[in-house]
Amino acid sequence: MKTLVACIVVALALAVVPLFIESPYALHIFILLFIAVALGESWNVLGGFAGQYSVGHSAWYGIGAYGAFILLQQKQIAPWFGVWVAVALSVIAALAVGWITFRLRGPYFVLASIAVAEIIRLLSLNTKDLTNGAEGILAADLPPLKFGNTVITDWISKTPYFYMGLAMALFCIAVNFFVKRSKLGYYLQAIREDQDAAHSLGIPPTFSKNAALAISAACTALVGSFAAFYIGFIEPNQVFGIDVSIQMVLIAIIGGIGTVAGPVLGAVILVLISEGLRTTVAQAHLLVYGVLVIVVILVMPEGFLGFISQRLRRKAATR
Amino acid sequence: MAVLLQSILSGMLIGGVYALIGIGLTLIFGVMRVINFAQGELVMVGMYCTFWVFVLFGIDPFLSVVITMPALFILGALLQRTLINRVLDALPQNQILLTIGIGLVLSNVAMLVFTSDYRILSTSYSSSSVGILGIHLSTPLLYCFLITVVITAVLYWFLVKTDIGHAIRATAQDRDAAQLMGVNVRHMGILAFGLGAALAGAAGALVAPTYYIYPQVGGAFTLKAFVVVVLGGMGSIIGATLGGILIGVAESVSGTYIGSGWKDLCVYVIFLLVLLLKPSGLLGKSRL
Repeated sequence: MKTLVACIVVALALAVVPLFIESPYALHIFILLFIAVALGESWNVLGGFAGQYSVGHSAWYGIGAYGAFILLQQKQIAPWFGVWVAVALSVIAALAVGWITFRLRGPYFVLASIAVAEIIRLLSLNTKDLTNGAEGILAADLPPLKFGNTVITDWISKTPYFYMGLAMALFCIAVNFFVKRSKLGYYLQAIREDQDAAHSLGIPPTFSKNAALAISAACTALVGSFAAFYIGFIEPNQVFGIDVSIQMVLIAIIGGIGTVAGPVLGAVILVLISEGLRTTVAQAHLLVYGVLVIVVILVMPEGFLGFISQRLRRKAATR
Repeated sequence: MAVLLQSILSGMLIGGVYALIGIGLTLIFGVMRVINFAQGELVMVGMYCTFWVFVLFGIDPFLSVVITMPALFILGALLQRTLINRVLDALPQNQILLTIGIGLVLSNVAMLVFTSDYRILSTSYSSSSVGILGIHLSTPLLYCFLITVVITAVLYWFLVKTDIGHAIRATAQDRDAAQLMGVNVRHMGILAFGLGAALAGAAGALVAPTYYIYPQVGGAFTLKAFVVVVLGGMGSIIGATLGGILIGVAESVSGTYIGSGWKDLCVYVIFLLVLLLKPSGLLGKSRL
């Protein structure tokens, strides 16, 4: 209950930020943060709860981005409708892939997930008619969002993106919260701890993992198309590249895997550090990701969240 | 017919390099059960070593193998001693993430130090070719293949004939039993990681004259090395050799007949099929 109140307070505080902050750069950082939170939470459903370390989530991210972009470009369907088509496409593709790859375990699953993402990246590079190949797609001007005859936004300022990003991040957090406490969530956590034991107790492993993948892929595709419209340009290596997948894993790992708050913490840490360094060490902000993940795996395998709560508990015990 | 033969032969030449990288990966996996996601980045480090040795001292890339291999051996041994060693008993996923982190650090340090410019190492024979019976093979790739054969043969001899080689193979077969027989498994781990890195370094030196050299070049090699190793069977060195050649040929033939944009796609489709239909690989024992 306390945490719920705290969450609502933080969300409300964030909601009034654009009223006070005018600087587009500050809003930009917030939007990046929301994207990172949503990505980490999306990955966490499959990677954290079910323990299926997919390093190929860029596939769903990219299908979300490309789906909505192509629908806008070639069929003139407004993104706020196209997004749902893209999400549906991504879920269908994810289920097809899950049906094939979930019979693999551990490192073999990791390798298969990378291969799937690579196959989709190469397909998008080679189907020029649909995706415009390596040249990528530049977003056309977005149609203004109207309610009746009143124009709500014309997408020029960053404020609408801020609120959409905030809503998306909150949605992904809520998804994690409810999945974790649902029957499916308990199934997934049982599978993570010991798949064979879970199976022998009557938990359907493949079905549960596919359900987690579908939820995870849907959220990822949603974030993918939001991020694509925010940036305004997509090309295969940028949205389907392994960097996106690795970034998603790292957000969850650094914060604390399999927890609802972990990816939020991980996103805050990563976005702040990499933006802080972008101004000083221009090129290699990914270096920080590498160093951080090494430190986290060696020193605090349960992420910052686990590390902090362990410290707090120890403090309480000594008192 | 000549075209088919031509593409099979060029595929075998480049496949030799894939085999070399794959053998390194499979050696590390065999001894420590760690999948090294930084293998391609080690190849990248080898390529830069070769490049700078060539630019600064004018040493031929194929001769520089004798410099890059020891250098990468030391780097690999250090990585194992300081980092990998601590996660030997951790979840395989955490080991993978650690090596991904090492790969990120290597490629981004390379970017800081060498910038992200594409560099080309051009030798006098870079664009020449050798003609045998109407089939033309690129000279640098041919040299590269011959050296690969020599290195692989030496490695086999080392693993099969020497005492240390026996100890490494014993550790790979059964870590605990090897330890009980008096093998220092910690040292074998360091040795195996060093050797794996040295092989990656050799591969880097050998492909330096034919590939662009840039900080992100490693990723493609890492993925290809996995394909090679899974195809041959995790932990099997003969399997990795065979897998490397097969992947090289598959890539080259599909590049010729389907289109160069599709060749990597074919490789990954083969990879997925092998994972699903025969996950133990062509020569490996099932370890699922």
